Amino acid sequence: MGMDPNRRCSNRLIVAESVYPVVALAFMLFACFELCGAATVVDVYRLIQYDISGAPFGSRLAGINHHASSLSFAPGSDLSRSVLVVPLRELNMTFVREYISKRQPLGALLFLLPQIFSFEGEEGSGYVSSVDGEVDLLKKLLVELEQFLIHATIPYPVYFGFEDDDIKAVLADIKKNDISGQPATATTGGYKLVVSVSEPRKVASPVIANIQGWLPGLKSDGDSNQLPTIAIVASYDTFGAAPALSVGSDSNGSGVVALLEIARLFSILYSNPRTRGKYNLLFGLTSGGPFNYNGTQKWLRSFDQRLRESIDYAICLNSIGSTENELFLHVSKPPDNAYIKQILEGFSNVAEELQMKVSLKHKKINISNPRVAWEHEQFSRLRVTAATLSHLSTTPELFEQTGGLSDSRKFVSEAVVAKTVKLVAESLARHIYGHKGKSIQIFADESSLAVNPSYVNSWMRLLGRTPRVAPFLAKNDPFVMALKKELAEHTEEVVMQNDVLDGMFTFYDSTKAQLYVYQVASVTFDLLLLLVIGSYLIILFSFLAITTRGLDDLISLFRRPPSRKVKTA
Amino acid sequence: MTMFHFFNCAILTFGPHAVYYSATPLSEYDTLGTSIKAAVVYLGTALVKLVCLATFLKVSETDSFDPYQEFLKALIGFIDVAGLYFALTQVTHRNISQNHKFQAVGLGWAFADSVLHRLAPLWVGARGLEFTWDYILQGVEANANLVFSISLAALGSLMWLRKNKPRTLIPIIYACAGLVATMPSITSYLRRGLGWHLPEVVGFELFTSLIMAFISWQLFSACQRPSL
Repeated sequence: MGMDPNRRCSNRLIVAESVYPVVALAFMLFACFELCGAATVVDVYRLIQYDISGAPFGSRLAGINHHASSLSFAPGSDLSRSVLVVPLRELNMTFVREYISKRQPLGALLFLLPQIFSFEGEEGSGYVSSVDGEVDLLKKLLVELEQFLIHATIPYPVYFGFEDDDIKAVLADIKKNDISGQPATATTGGYKLVVSVSEPRKVASPVIANIQGWLPGLKSDGDSNQLPTIAIVASYDTFGAAPALSVGSDSNGSGVVALLEIARLFSILYSNPRTRGKYNLLFGLTSGGPFNYNGTQKWLRSFDQRLRESIDYAICLNSIGSTENELFLHVSKPPDNAYIKQILEGFSNVAEELQMKVSLKHKKINISNPRVAWEHEQFSRLRVTAATLSHLSTTPELFEQTGGLSDSRKFVSEAVVAKTVKLVAESLARHIYGHKGKSIQIFADESSLAVNPSYVNSWMRLLGRTPRVAPFLAKNDPFVMALKKELAEHTEEVVMQNDVLDGMFTFYDSTKAQLYVYQVASVTFDLLLLLVIGSYLIILFSFLAITTRGLDDLISLFRRPPSRKVKTA
Repeated sequence: MTMFHFFNCAILTFGPHAVYYSATPLSEYDTLGTSIKAAVVYLGTALVKLVCLATFLKVSETDSFDPYQEFLKALIGFIDVAGLYFALTQVTHRNISQNHKFQAVGLGWAFADSVLHRLAPLWVGARGLEFTWDYILQGVEANANLVFSISLAALGSLMWLRKNKPRTLIPIIYACAGLVATMPSITSYLRRGLGWHLPEVVGFELFTSLIMAFISWQLFSACQRPSL
């Protein structure tokens, strides 16, 4: 499909001239012609469809075959057979809320997102600071829309697409029609939007894969298992309104990248027996993060008691890539706990040197509540000291801040990620090597142990374009295998643990589709055309009959009794 | 709805042939056999043409107008004239008047051409959801083509079947026949050499077909007179 359409069409003409006599071949090209016929084809991404304990959520249908309509539709018109095309820039949240919650009939809904949220577009347009007014507003709006759609039940197909010139032209046309009071219906023509997909099917037993790797510490005498362990954990999967767009650059791509870079830095230190610390380092990339850290829970349960007890503390990395200079350490143990104090002190000391600020946020765990908002809570439930480092100050609700539509790569700065890596690595190293309180830079810039920006950058890029909603990742998904391979580069005893996501959630497939935009003629037009052609043929008949046989003959043709026709037939 | 559009375009493309057959005395003299034979000859000619095109023409990578290639194409186009000659003179027909013979041959010729060149794209394209004017224009083009075919057949019958015709008219007849026979090359030049769009090309074809029909008719009746 790489050829430009003009060329393709003209080629088709040449082919037509010489090959059409072979009718069979034309029929072989049938499928191709059918697809070439559309004015525009765009990739669209369906709103997630899932059940929580049998209760339906999200968009419940996938196939579209309706006329297009814009927001400027005439009030009171029947939209049950129209696709409402809504650009995010013109979105009125109260309207959408009202329309959906009142269960107004609608054929389908198509949201057009600005290109800035696209993960496929051009690279290197750079980090968009969230201070940018207009973009910030759009982002906030998108977050609001996403949260609303995820928790709504919508009985028609809902898709997301990206604005491009073709679709903009189509939209302008639709609007013009709508304003002129000619909403697109079968009788007036206009644009028809078609998504032909089969009915969404349930995803059979979604798998979550946890990956772990060890950097064993230096055993003075006896088994290394007796050494204390520090765990660094990040969950890598995402959840969002459109599973095929949930790339989660900040949540939690940034955490994954930081974990990989920390593993790389410590693997350099641990490769030399002289610099190997007296702590085991455990790295864990967990799945199921948006689903109450289900993967983390399964992973921890698989440990034996001795191992669990050997964990000194665990640092969970979550969303660390977008706000500069202020990070929060979320804990569930009281702040005056000795371990917590020690961790916070370690971070704060290094943070000061880096002109950053780490403050403590304490939230108690309610064991009876199934909601697990932070990854460290899974550790705390098993009485392992743990804390989550994040730039998020408030506790996210279910499916909030899980790397959805608005979490685009362009809102994450590699510099911030690199800085956080330095913060965590430095404070860990000071703890491991007992340099607490001293300002010794182990991972100083320009040294061989400096944070590698291009490594961070390349992994951010990969994560920023890989949708990672766990139920839609195959069992041996290339991305998961790549993560495992990368962790195996730096650590030892890398194990991948496959587990089944807890049965509360059911997901449905067909997350991505192609939208065909057809410009169609109306039935009225076809009727008119039939009329014109019919009268042309009648006039032609009369003309030929009169010129060749004379008028009398023509008249006698009609005078003949119809019984003769029956006889001849 | 789209089936409807296909139906419309099909009537526009193939209707005039049927109307021509039923409105003129052709139907009264039952010349269907002649038309069918002409259509069969057309099929054979098309096959020969295809083989020649495949043998002598390069597949052009670009869409530009290459005069040498187009000249070859025009030459190969004259195979049509040979086929028409064959249909008019060599194929034995039941005794029908010369007047009806060329009409029947031209009609069969044009109908076979329409079926081969237009039915498949129509079936594939006009049923699609996307609306374009192309198939309606193609139907109009089929009308022009019918007129051209009958004109060419008329001129052919003048050239090969009529013995006593006014000497002064002979060069004009040959010139007109040549012009009609090269018409596909002319339209191809307009389309690709001058970059005309389909509506303009079809308009031109329609216009010239009517003029050629008028000239052929004048020539035919001029040749008719002395024999009377």
